[in-house]
Amino acid sequence: MTAMTESDPITLEIIQNSLQAISDEMFAAFRKTAMSAIIYEVLDMGTAITDAEGNLASSGAGIPAFVGVLDKAVKRIIELNGEPGEIARGDIFATNDPFYGGVTHLNDVVLAMPVFAGDELVAWTANIAHWNDVGGMVPGSISNEAHEIFQEGLRLPGVKLIAGGVPIKSVMEIMKCNSRLPDFLQGDMWAGIAAARVGERRILDLVGKYGLATFVAALSHFMDYGEQVARRALEGLPKGTFSLEEEQDSGAVYRVTVEITDDEFIVDLRDNPDQDYGPNNASRDGSLVAAQMVFMNIMGSHGSANGGHFRPLTLLTRPGSVFDPNPPAAFAVYYEVEIRLYDLIWRCLAPYLGERLPSGSFASICGTFIGGPHPDTGRHFTIVEPQVGGWGASGAADGNSAMFSGFHGDTFNCPAEVAETRYGLYVDRLALNDAPGGEGEHRGGKGIVVEYRVRSNGCFFTCAYTRNKHKPWALDGGREGSPNYAEVVRTDGTVEEFAVVTALEVNEGDVIRIHTGHGGGYGDPKLRPREQVLEDLRNGFTTDEQARAVYGLEEPAA
Amino acid sequence: MPDAPATIRAATDVGGTFTDLVYFFVDPDTGVQEIVTAKSDTTPPDFEQGVLNVIAKSGVAVDEIAFLAHGTTVVINALTERKGVKTALITTEGFRDSLEIARGNRPDYFNLHYEKPVPFVPRYLRREIPGRITHEGRERQALDLSGLPGIIDHFRKEQVEAVAICLLHAYADPAHEQAVFERVTELWPEVSVVASHQITREWREYERTSTAVLSAYVQPVAERYLGRLADGVRDGGFGGQLYIMQSNCGVDSVEKTKEIPITMVESGPASGFWGAAELGRLIGEPNVLALDIGGTTAKCSLIEGGQVKIISDYWIERSRASAGYPIMVPVVDLVEIGNGGGSIAWVDDFGKLHVGPQSAGALPGPAAYGRGGTLPTTTDANLALGRINQDYFCGGEIEADMVAVERSLGELADKLGVDHADAARGVVRIANNNMINALKLISLNRGHDPRDFTLVAFGGGGGMHAVALASELGIRKVVVPRAADVFSAWGMLMSDLRRDYFVTRLLGLKAGNADALDAVVDDVTDVAVAQFAREGISRDQVRFRRYGNLRYENQEHGVEVLLPDGPIDADAIGRIAETFHEAYEREYTYRLDAPVEFVGTHLVAIAEVGKLTPVPLPATGRELEAAVKGERSVDYATEGIHVATVYDGALLEPGMRLEGPAIIETTGSTVVVHPDNTLKVDTYGNLIIELDLIIDERRAP
Repeated sequence: MTAMTESDPITLEIIQNSLQAISDEMFAAFRKTAMSAIIYEVLDMGTAITDAEGNLASSGAGIPAFVGVLDKAVKRIIELNGEPGEIARGDIFATNDPFYGGVTHLNDVVLAMPVFAGDELVAWTANIAHWNDVGGMVPGSISNEAHEIFQEGLRLPGVKLIAGGVPIKSVMEIMKCNSRLPDFLQGDMWAGIAAARVGERRILDLVGKYGLATFVAALSHFMDYGEQVARRALEGLPKGTFSLEEEQDSGAVYRVTVEITDDEFIVDLRDNPDQDYGPNNASRDGSLVAAQMVFMNIMGSHGSANGGHFRPLTLLTRPGSVFDPNPPAAFAVYYEVEIRLYDLIWRCLAPYLGERLPSGSFASICGTFIGGPHPDTGRHFTIVEPQVGGWGASGAADGNSAMFSGFHGDTFNCPAEVAETRYGLYVDRLALNDAPGGEGEHRGGKGIVVEYRVRSNGCFFTCAYTRNKHKPWALDGGREGSPNYAEVVRTDGTVEEFAVVTALEVNEGDVIRIHTGHGGGYGDPKLRPREQVLEDLRNGFTTDEQARAVYGLEEPAA
Repeated sequence: MPDAPATIRAATDVGGTFTDLVYFFVDPDTGVQEIVTAKSDTTPPDFEQGVLNVIAKSGVAVDEIAFLAHGTTVVINALTERKGVKTALITTEGFRDSLEIARGNRPDYFNLHYEKPVPFVPRYLRREIPGRITHEGRERQALDLSGLPGIIDHFRKEQVEAVAICLLHAYADPAHEQAVFERVTELWPEVSVVASHQITREWREYERTSTAVLSAYVQPVAERYLGRLADGVRDGGFGGQLYIMQSNCGVDSVEKTKEIPITMVESGPASGFWGAAELGRLIGEPNVLALDIGGTTAKCSLIEGGQVKIISDYWIERSRASAGYPIMVPVVDLVEIGNGGGSIAWVDDFGKLHVGPQSAGALPGPAAYGRGGTLPTTTDANLALGRINQDYFCGGEIEADMVAVERSLGELADKLGVDHADAARGVVRIANNNMINALKLISLNRGHDPRDFTLVAFGGGGGMHAVALASELGIRKVVVPRAADVFSAWGMLMSDLRRDYFVTRLLGLKAGNADALDAVVDDVTDVAVAQFAREGISRDQVRFRRYGNLRYENQEHGVEVLLPDGPIDADAIGRIAETFHEAYEREYTYRLDAPVEFVGTHLVAIAEVGKLTPVPLPATGRELEAAVKGERSVDYATEGIHVATVYDGALLEPGMRLEGPAIIETTGSTVVVHPDNTLKVDTYGNLIIELDLIIDERRAP
């Protein structure tokens, strides 16, 4: 036998690398087998491994906003299934309900599998993905009109889906029966189950090879390392209390106070509005995820996060508020609330943290839902997609153009050629947005304009964009970015404009034109080097008039 | 058997510093297949001169070379060093920004200072023309070329040297692209032009546009290079066939390569992987994990059933830190990591040890080179552990500076708080772990169990690490090929003329679509046959393998399955579906009772062009003891320190067997044989190492 039992640092490191590799393998397996485009293309999904208590040990690729979700879900599943023997080898649990560990909204279904070495629970593998339809009052389950979670679809309260390796038929049939797209649901569910099982097998390989004690030591060591990284980053931050209040497009005012001490990073959200009557709420766990993301950004981390990183972080909320609502609050549009909170904390700290944080970006998921009969096949199609937009400039560089929001990571847009085939729409245009905004010594990145031409009657359009009235914010004398919005151009030429709309009827020939914003600028535009202004002019990123008026260009354009 | 005079097969490889030549000939007196290598300086910009120089230096008579295969990094270098030409793009109205919008992804997802890859064509050189084709290949809006003269005038004024054309849905019907191509060529005959359909017939407009743009960007550079090379060797007296190594593990003619030179982009690694596949066939190992460990990187690929996996989902400069740039050309599926002999070991702020991706390169190189390198590399750690012979470093060409080695490792050890030996062991273990993860990516993450494969390891560092990696992965057998250090050249000489065609055509997999499906496969076969015919290769000289890319309806990622021979009829459709369900379940553990879609086809067309026939290495009956150089103490990291017998690899011959712990040394590489390993030399001189099977049993599921 060559298996090592001693916990030398290299062995621990190798186990940690292996956990990362397992998370990535689960991710690859999930992505390849998922049925819904939002999973395999947009990668609205995540995978993770936790220790036996549900502390995050390793997370796969995907989207950062899901990184801190799975540990919270596993912890709640452990709480909810606390009877002896209730959690057993081969089980898989499902939750999607923020009141039962689901963190986000009912469309995001978490599958979690305990990993037993012999009789001992040693870890969990878990994944989350956006399922296209889990029932509720509208196709796609996400409605701006919902005011109770009961209207948003089937609630899975941390229940067992597979017992000892055997699917529980009754649960699965209830789930399928509650979806408008049962085939998709089934395909996505099995993709998640397969991914969780792959993770289980690999973890058992690791435990078999290095021994249980070493495996457990490696997890604990890795989290201690995460904590060290976080504490080192804290050392470099200015200490004090920082506050910001910001009016939202809805008129609500959100407030944050961040206190940074030598060993703590406290985000206080207690002074915030009561929970929303509609679906604009973020669960307490979801609010914590937003704070964790800013914390990771500030640390400048390039690696993956684990539970240790977040030990210095404390979140204070008020039950009954928009960031910690009570039942039966609705959550469908949680993501816009959560990204507003993320942007708020970021904006609160940016002026004090030097180069660490750039100007504000378009900072909306720009969740876009279009559905109806496919003109070629007659079958129902649904688009559920976020949009790309402009990112803010920093003291060092212009902002990136046409990227998904900070909530997304290795997320891919849908090619026009694929969209036209799959959805039966025409994509008439996909271009960088030429609206003014985001000017600065370093300019904000550009948003986009995309036009979908509807090809059949009786289709619907739903969206809920923020950063519409209140535009992406700038730093150090730069200009604000531009707004996110959608237009519907009817066949008679009339144009309707929306930031939020639910199930608007659109028919053959109508064009849905989506505009996403530019990021905020950084620094006085008059300080932008002249050759860069001329280059922007040549590329059509600014006009003659803007170049003179905003950038103060005096020489004639070439 | 004496061969006719012109039977020498040679391979040249133009690298950044050196141009290498390897040639093989059968000694008419002894029947032994001799391998001769030579090296001379690379001579930019007249690279053909370096090739002629190295031929002259090798002493081979140019007119005796029958088959000359050429591998070059000219394309990948022009891309990564941004040394292509000023390129412009013509695209569909409304889509000029597709190249800059790209896919919007940010792999380094906690980093708010991520830098999105800059497009190879700036916005002012991206121009649009009206006209639309639908996804079904119908014309929806007529093409309007009236603006083209103005666009071309603009490009001329801007001194553009190459024009890429990519229109929406040109994969479904290239008529509009062809029309634009012809008109551009009429208006501006001197400019280099490429249209996306000439390279790929697959969907996804950003990827196809990027492919056309990057192809145009390198086209003039590569065309000049290939032209001068062909003329140069011909003027130098070469009368045989000149072939260019491609990224799909085949070779192709100079003329065909000049049309779409971007197909050479990954030709470097491809030849080695092809070599591994051919070697597998030769020795009866159809399932191979191929690993090439060089100075700065390690690359691996998976060969199943004797077939290399060729994909068109290829990206350059893609990593955890960058989205990179897609190139939709047939490329061998590989994983590459920054982990080779020259990779630098370092300790981060939190006391964690890392190896790579920074490399000490050739200068200063590892500390052991004594050229001023102070940072420890994997090579230095291998020297310190006695795995590499300090008295026979680089085949005795360099005197290992052990003082510098100990100094560099000492600093590392201090930071880690361990002794020198533990630091060196740590470096080797972390380097091995990095490579294990790369091997997992190419196997486990693609749905294969590495225990079902044989590890073929080559490159300068392959034999050094192979056994340790195999044992971690539960692999029972390791093969280190004869002349492992020039194995890529061997692969090149074993290559066939090979072309891969990928075509997207979405069809439900049902009996009613049998004719349509058959037509898709037939059409692409006809294209291939016509191309070969133009080069004087008849249909019966070409072997075809036809794959279908299948998925459950509404999924995105397909599974490639081999299509049955003969016409595709209703009966064949049923068999294809069953093959798909089986392949899918094997890979993903479940199958669905759901409709299946045919997304497209992948056609492989292969013609043999007189490749090398390996012959057994004669055995002289030499005793094993004659190959023993001595013994030394070797640190096997996790397996402890053992006294290993050291063998001269050049003196090993077929039929010999030996037991580990042992070290095999040749001029170009070192093979580390662990305790409990058994090594035998096969009839071709390859080293076959059998591992202790305890590991495998322990890891059995």
